[in-house]
Amino acid sequence: MSINFIFEPIALPLAAGIIALLFRREQGKACAWFCTAVTAAHLAIATYLFGKEASLTLPWGAFGFEFSLKLYHFSGFIMLAAAGFGFLISLYSTAFMNDRRFLNQYYAYFLLTLGMVNGAVLADNLIVMLFFWESLLLTLFGMIIIGQPQAFKTAVKAFIISGVADLCMMVGIGMTIYMAGTMTMSQIHLPLDTWSSVAFVFLMIGAIAKAGAMPFHSWIPDAAVDAPLPFMALVPAALEKLLGIYFLARISLDLFVLNPRSWLSPLLMVIGCITILLAVMMALIQRDYKRLLSFHAISQVGYMILGIGTAVPVGIVGGLFHMINHAMYKSCLFLSGGAVEKQAGTTDLAKLGGLRAQMPVTFICFVVAAASISGVPPFNGFISKELIYDGALERHWLYYAAALLGSFLTAASFLKLGHAAYLGKPAANHSKVQEAPAAMLIPMIIIAVLCLVFGLWNALPLNNLIQPILGEARLEGHTFAGWHFSVTLVLLTVLVLIGAFLNHIWGAKRAGNGLGAADHIHYAPVLHPLYDKAERRLFDPYEIGLKIVRVIARIAWGVDRGIDYLYDTVAVKVTYAFTSGIRKAHTGSLLAYLSWSLAGLIVIIALIMGGI
Amino acid sequence: MKFECILSLAVLAPLLGSLLLPLIGRWSERTRNWLSLILVLTSLCMAAMLIPLVTAGLTVSVQLAGFTLFYADTLAVFMAIVSSLVGAVIVLYSFGYISHYPWRNEYYFMVVLFLGAMMGLIFARNLLILYLFWEITAFACWRLIGFFREKSYVLKADKAFLVTVGGALVMLLGFIIIYNQTGSFDLDQIQKALHGRPIANIAVVLILFGILSKSATVPLHTWLPDAGVAPSPVTALLHAAVLVKIGVYVYARLFLTGMEIEPIWHTVVPAIAAISALVSAGAALIETNLKRLIAYSTISQIGFIFLGLSIGNEIGIAGGLLYILMHGIAKGGLFLCAGIVEQNAKTKDITKMGGLITTMPVTAVAFLLCAFSVMGIPPMGGFFSKYMVITGAVTSGNIVITLTFLVGAFLTIIYLLRAFTLVFLGESKLAPGFRPAEGSPSMVFSVAFLGVLSIISGLFINFPSQLVQTAVHQMLGLI
Repeated sequence: MSINFIFEPIALPLAAGIIALLFRREQGKACAWFCTAVTAAHLAIATYLFGKEASLTLPWGAFGFEFSLKLYHFSGFIMLAAAGFGFLISLYSTAFMNDRRFLNQYYAYFLLTLGMVNGAVLADNLIVMLFFWESLLLTLFGMIIIGQPQAFKTAVKAFIISGVADLCMMVGIGMTIYMAGTMTMSQIHLPLDTWSSVAFVFLMIGAIAKAGAMPFHSWIPDAAVDAPLPFMALVPAALEKLLGIYFLARISLDLFVLNPRSWLSPLLMVIGCITILLAVMMALIQRDYKRLLSFHAISQVGYMILGIGTAVPVGIVGGLFHMINHAMYKSCLFLSGGAVEKQAGTTDLAKLGGLRAQMPVTFICFVVAAASISGVPPFNGFISKELIYDGALERHWLYYAAALLGSFLTAASFLKLGHAAYLGKPAANHSKVQEAPAAMLIPMIIIAVLCLVFGLWNALPLNNLIQPILGEARLEGHTFAGWHFSVTLVLLTVLVLIGAFLNHIWGAKRAGNGLGAADHIHYAPVLHPLYDKAERRLFDPYEIGLKIVRVIARIAWGVDRGIDYLYDTVAVKVTYAFTSGIRKAHTGSLLAYLSWSLAGLIVIIALIMGGI
Repeated sequence: MKFECILSLAVLAPLLGSLLLPLIGRWSERTRNWLSLILVLTSLCMAAMLIPLVTAGLTVSVQLAGFTLFYADTLAVFMAIVSSLVGAVIVLYSFGYISHYPWRNEYYFMVVLFLGAMMGLIFARNLLILYLFWEITAFACWRLIGFFREKSYVLKADKAFLVTVGGALVMLLGFIIIYNQTGSFDLDQIQKALHGRPIANIAVVLILFGILSKSATVPLHTWLPDAGVAPSPVTALLHAAVLVKIGVYVYARLFLTGMEIEPIWHTVVPAIAAISALVSAGAALIETNLKRLIAYSTISQIGFIFLGLSIGNEIGIAGGLLYILMHGIAKGGLFLCAGIVEQNAKTKDITKMGGLITTMPVTAVAFLLCAFSVMGIPPMGGFFSKYMVITGAVTSGNIVITLTFLVGAFLTIIYLLRAFTLVFLGESKLAPGFRPAEGSPSMVFSVAFLGVLSIISGLFINFPSQLVQTAVHQMLGLI
């Protein structure tokens, strides 16, 4: 294998992305197939590269900036997964996006995103990683902004949130490089003392913000409404999760060694639990297909962070397995949402219903993915959640309880979503709705099948993809593949799922339809005012942050104007006062001038005499 | 001898050539315009020809009767290239921008004279020569800010002149104290006489006064936003790319290479820079005049440059120098884009614009690319300089200053995006039916060139970073 082959996963999508920009407006279809062909070729190459090891170092700049890449198991795995999603979603887009504007830009950003993700994953130099990582801001901005005319507000929000997190990561990288004395990631192994913990926190901010955890999440629900749907399936649901959790795993396993005694482990677990619970609470009350999913895209990150934060092997394996599982079922769910949007013309749950009969394949794919995300055995989400539960319970039962409660609410909100969209009476004006075209169904079917495969034969992904990331030494000979879970925990999980189902039946009966199944929670005494405020974005960290920024800006403006007042008013007045005083002495009278001169002479003489 | 000629030509071509411009302008506009560009490009080429020599660790000096007139090391060559490169683009842009205003002869005369004086200042080896060129730039700046001759504009030009010249006079006192301490104005002689002893703190304070007033650092900064009344290429030239870099350059020249200063200044100057970066970034968020907003942004970014140069470690200094290059390109581009917008939309108030991307796509994209570079987003060049400056602050271990700059960097993202969205996106708030057109070809080419250069400087970071590394090693006496 030529050593330069390692370049391909970066160079091919980036070059193709630039070529895609050259397509003209009316060549949207050609551009779509070009993109699909490139992603197919890329998938083949990523498959070929998976499991191989290679590294490459080229000089790039002074001060130790070396363009060094390293292909090994973990990076090959993320690259393969990204390539898979890239291909499937590109195929899906050929049908979904065909009547949109700015198609050449969409596919260009699509391919550039893929190339930059690969660059960030392959990089073995922290600067190179940050370079690709932060470059993703540009395509994120571009992909949201082309969604619709007013989407730029969301694009700005996404850019600011991610940009702030990336700057924190920049500080963390600066600290890490200073402490380690090298920029090469594979050579950095720092113990967690006071300062390296601070560096860890800065790096962690970058990682979890990329993954979309709280408090860096609030652009995702807005983007779900504004941005083109395949973008949601590709970036926030799949690639950003893969990338963010990849880096979180790198810093907790390689660059630093996160152990259960460090204060960082509870910090991560608490962030994880809060993210799980708050986001799923918001998901429960959503009345839009895509917005509901987007809150789950936030909530599920909490499980991954919780898993990795436990710092025990079973939790880490669970967290990483959940990363790939989530990317699969969440993009499948978004794709099903896209199918509904395309065929029925809306994603407003109040206007949907009874689509099961008209879109049976979409419905089945939805059911599989929803069962996976809710942790129903034997789907993949069940396996990874059980592993995370094991890890959480090993630390403290509170974390476990939070995770379990999250599962209850997840199941409840998906029952509501499925009921409202696919069951019940068909909406009046949707009698002519048909099944989605094949180009949209095939990706959904493939992912749904994989969800089942990864659950039933979980040894396949666990032994080949996930466990090698931790390495033999850390696993101490354990394997987490197979079906040997604690009976009590499985029983509890099943009980919670049955509870969610009963809750849904009761709620739906009470409200008279599927959409209102969670209303008894939405309008519960304490929750109702809180929900109202949350819906008005009073708790949005972005809005709160902007308010603080406005205060800082007002103070700064005051200081600036105050200083300007000194120049424009005070200095001028003082000068005029001084000169008008001097002017008064100039009376034109000889006698006055003579007396001034005489007085001056006396002063000079006195000074000279005094000096001697 | 050959290199001495090159060095002299780099300074004298624009300095003396500028005197011819008004005369030629009476005869042919085109010839005058192209000659101005050629004069500036001469500086650029001459400076570029010195690169192989200075990167080999050698220096050139031009002697006149035993008196060192000009002197070139890597730092000076680097600075000369940055100034003349951005200067050349701005002159090209002026072809379109200034073509329908009166007093064009004076305009080109002053712009080229300014760039010539800048070259002289960069290559000066003697404090008095440095002071002389410093004041020539102030004079040219004064004429150019008041170029439109309106009463209030002239007052703002006077303000800029008084603040910068006032600062310079105070700085001259500092030079005299150094003379008293060492018996010379020549930087070589001064260095020899000091024997590594630090110079008097009072001299540092007085010189800092001049530097901070020229580089528009809080609290000596308010002349800079006011100077936005100048023609846009002038604001780009003076207030983004070249003039405000004089202060930082002289700081590097005097306090990093020539003389030792007490270690306390490695905390005091970054602290001033941090306050300056924060105050002006906050003000940029409130400001609604596009050119004043970008001017506040300049003040804020100058703070980052000062931070890098003054924090006292190698990576910081390198970051500061790289920042001069990246900021010059990107901020010059922003001002030039603002010029196109202001000239065609007939307003500077960003709250009254909107939706301009539909009619000025190239300007909008160039603005965005340059803004990304100022924010420090890869693959733009600004990413590397911001990273290195922040790392310099981290390396120094001063947490408060690092966090202040982190907040400054957050604000940079917010105010630039705010400006971009208000000007180019959303609904148009201009008069109904009024759709401003794209600028003239030379103007659009100039902004597109700077936008593309922002990307190229990041992708091919190798070349500028090598040059900066050599400069830093030379400055710190490592080679």
